[in-house]
Amino acid sequence: MDPIKTEIVVVGAGPGGYAAAFYAADLGKRVTLVERDERLGGVCLNCGCIPSKALLHASHAITSTRESVQRGIVFGQPQLDLAKLRSWKESILTRLSGGIVQLAKLRGVQVIQGRGYFEDSRALRVETEQGQRFVQYDHAIIAVGSKPALPRDFDLGNPRVMTSTEALELEDIPENLLVIGGGYIGMELGTVYATFGSKVVLVEALDSILAGADPDLARPIVAYARKAFKEMRLKTRVSKMSTSGKQIRVVSETDGQKHEELYDRVLVSVGRAPNAEDLGLENTKVSFDERGFIHVNEKQQTTDPAIYAIGDIVGGVLLAHKATKEGRIAVEVIAGEKSAFVDVTIPAVVFTDPEIAWCGLTEAEARAKGLEVHVSKFPWSASGRALTFDRPEGLTKLIIEPDTERILGVGIVGQGAGELLAEGLLAVEMGATARDLALVVHPHPTMSETLMEAAEAYYGHATHTMVRKKAD
Amino acid sequence: MDMKLPPLGEGADSGTVVNVFVKAGDTITKDQPVLELENEKAVATIPANAAGTVAAVFVKAGDKIKVGQRILSLADAASTGAPAAPSAPATRPGRERLIQTPSPEQAPAPEADPGEPHTERRAGMPPMAAPSIRKLARDLGIDLDRVAGSARGGRVLLEDVREYIQKLQRLAAVRRPAGGEPAPKPAEQVDFSKWGPVSRKPLSPLREVIVRRMVESWNTTPRVTQFDKADITAVTALRKKYAPAYEQRGARLTLTSFALKVVVDTLRKHPIFNASLDEAAREVVLKEYYHIGIAVDTEAGLIVPVLRDADKKNLLELSRELEDLAGKARERKLSAEQLHGGTFTISNQGGIGGAHFTPIVNKPEVAILGLGRGAMEAVVREKRIEPRLLLPIGLSYDHRVIDGGAAARFTVDLVQAFENFREEDMKL
Repeated sequence: MDPIKTEIVVVGAGPGGYAAAFYAADLGKRVTLVERDERLGGVCLNCGCIPSKALLHASHAITSTRESVQRGIVFGQPQLDLAKLRSWKESILTRLSGGIVQLAKLRGVQVIQGRGYFEDSRALRVETEQGQRFVQYDHAIIAVGSKPALPRDFDLGNPRVMTSTEALELEDIPENLLVIGGGYIGMELGTVYATFGSKVVLVEALDSILAGADPDLARPIVAYARKAFKEMRLKTRVSKMSTSGKQIRVVSETDGQKHEELYDRVLVSVGRAPNAEDLGLENTKVSFDERGFIHVNEKQQTTDPAIYAIGDIVGGVLLAHKATKEGRIAVEVIAGEKSAFVDVTIPAVVFTDPEIAWCGLTEAEARAKGLEVHVSKFPWSASGRALTFDRPEGLTKLIIEPDTERILGVGIVGQGAGELLAEGLLAVEMGATARDLALVVHPHPTMSETLMEAAEAYYGHATHTMVRKKAD
Repeated sequence: MDMKLPPLGEGADSGTVVNVFVKAGDTITKDQPVLELENEKAVATIPANAAGTVAAVFVKAGDKIKVGQRILSLADAASTGAPAAPSAPATRPGRERLIQTPSPEQAPAPEADPGEPHTERRAGMPPMAAPSIRKLARDLGIDLDRVAGSARGGRVLLEDVREYIQKLQRLAAVRRPAGGEPAPKPAEQVDFSKWGPVSRKPLSPLREVIVRRMVESWNTTPRVTQFDKADITAVTALRKKYAPAYEQRGARLTLTSFALKVVVDTLRKHPIFNASLDEAAREVVLKEYYHIGIAVDTEAGLIVPVLRDADKKNLLELSRELEDLAGKARERKLSAEQLHGGTFTISNQGGIGGAHFTPIVNKPEVAILGLGRGAMEAVVREKRIEPRLLLPIGLSYDHRVIDGGAAARFTVDLVQAFENFREEDMKL
């Protein structure tokens, strides 16, 4: 077969890769998209963001029926049909990945299913089921993503030791589940399993969970987890795991105190590792850091002039929307535009119960950088709307630059925080001031009022909370 | 401790290393010359800032180095001066470049538009503007930190960017006539090897300076040269008579020594020849000091060291200093200071030969005296033909400042000063 000649080849069809391929096609480029999995969409769609959110949504029904008891509405015990739950979840994924295939077709993006291997800086070999195909390209965009890290000591070859990928398959609901790692993946999936009936023990090596989120935002999640999980142990290291019949024997150490326990399943959520191997990148001029993340500059250019890289494979925050933005930048740079990943705000949302969401500068970052900022908070306990859905534990806060009164960061914890963040994100990116936010009439009764009232609080006149004047 | 290239003064910030005088292991004293640096202004020696043993030398001949760059490191430095200067505060390189070398492609430096607020943004914060405005600025190559934002808190709006661009255009329009005509087309390249073998060598920094300054003088100074001849028979006799005595005092008595004295005396009577034209202020600057430049012919090219306060020195001092400066010029060991501040220049070609010539005014001075070789000529004195030693002199002057009559009077006085040189001025 003749080699395929293309202007841009994108390797990896996750949210970074397919978005880049589509954008390049929209700009009139000839594009080839190579994906090793049968289904397009990458980790996000197949074993990350989307399935986890489907399961979290399903679990919310249980939480909410339990909470409604105090409101005088009592349901019976929920019955869990795992097979049906799984197939509902699968139907979402199938529909979404089918959508990507359709969109590729409509744009004339050629999709090749197979593993891509760089022969040199201008040619990619793709191992497809029908044999080898060669792609000659002007530019390549590497978007091969990352996979859950599984330290060798934990890799027993036993399916009862799971990463997020297996945990999302929802094989069964183990009676006793150990979650190793209190980052957002461990917290989200721990929440799912705990709601579905597992006794969850969560261990974290650091002295706090959800490192990166400000402590005042993490506090309601800690409170929730303490209630929903059987136990949460901080400063705890798992030293040994072994198979013990149908269980996993786990030895851990908390503050010098040893635990030896049996679990039905273990979820290892200790981070993610780049998918850098077996790509043939040694045949190009692409260089890596010691962990295997590809070096790129702010134009997403690797050290090989023809090759760009985006998304998890270049490190930084491993988030789908970061990958998508980087993909757009890579395509713009290839198209000759003056584009660069500079001053881009990447928001973060953790879909725990309640959710945490933040963007821009966090309070901890401001402190670490020695920046003088003012933090203005509005507690949800003062929001009528929050009380109507029984979630007064939330908090909305603004990080404000005192000279210009500009909003540098927004942090929210509470039900629906992820959606609520969007307005704060727009404020940060637009360079809006607290005054701007305070002057906009927000609909009542909605949680969006908390953003307005947090801004008003900065000037000392929030309607529903008393704060001292900022000058004090 | 490290020794770094100290500030060179006169706006110079870099140079090419001509010679390195020290090597690792050498013990050096403070102020001992460690290297010789050539830049477009001068060749100067750079003295050690401290005593000690040289641990390592980081530069070699031919290197182009910048002020602040490490030259060498001293082990067991017995620092007598200030402690090693802390490294220069980090400045944003882009901005510095903007200020130092404004070029047509770049936005004007801040001083060009003083009305511009230029807020130093806090580290790590994006410019206060919407993403669409930031993208526009990036596409246009505009630094949003320079744009005054009109919205609340100083947020930059589209019309702020538009106004900024219009301001840039107005500034560019104002500057164009002041900037003079477009740069002349470079001369057509000629392939000389078509007609025979050639060799090429790059222009040295010194030659570059000569090229630039000669063209500048030629293009800007309406120059006239006034010729005359001075009878130096008597002066030469005096020179012969006193030369041995001067020799004993370590000074070589040359005609240039006499010329220095004669020129200073004449300049006192004609201050306009010791002046400069301040074109910007539309003023003539009359100097009350007499620093005389001496054109020295060296292997590398023309160098003009300056003999300071020539009016306050006697013939012996002038002779000594003259020889010292000429020697240093030939060895290229003049300090930057010894090359600046001249008020009048003497170019004496007599040692080589030739008669009248038309020297080029050494801007910003307004006059220069060119001396040829003295020759015996038949001169009619009191109706008798006498053999006399006559010195061809050519006085070039800037006709913008000096009128022909003034030049003629200066020349007459100068000739008389040569001819009536007083013996008491020579006595030791």
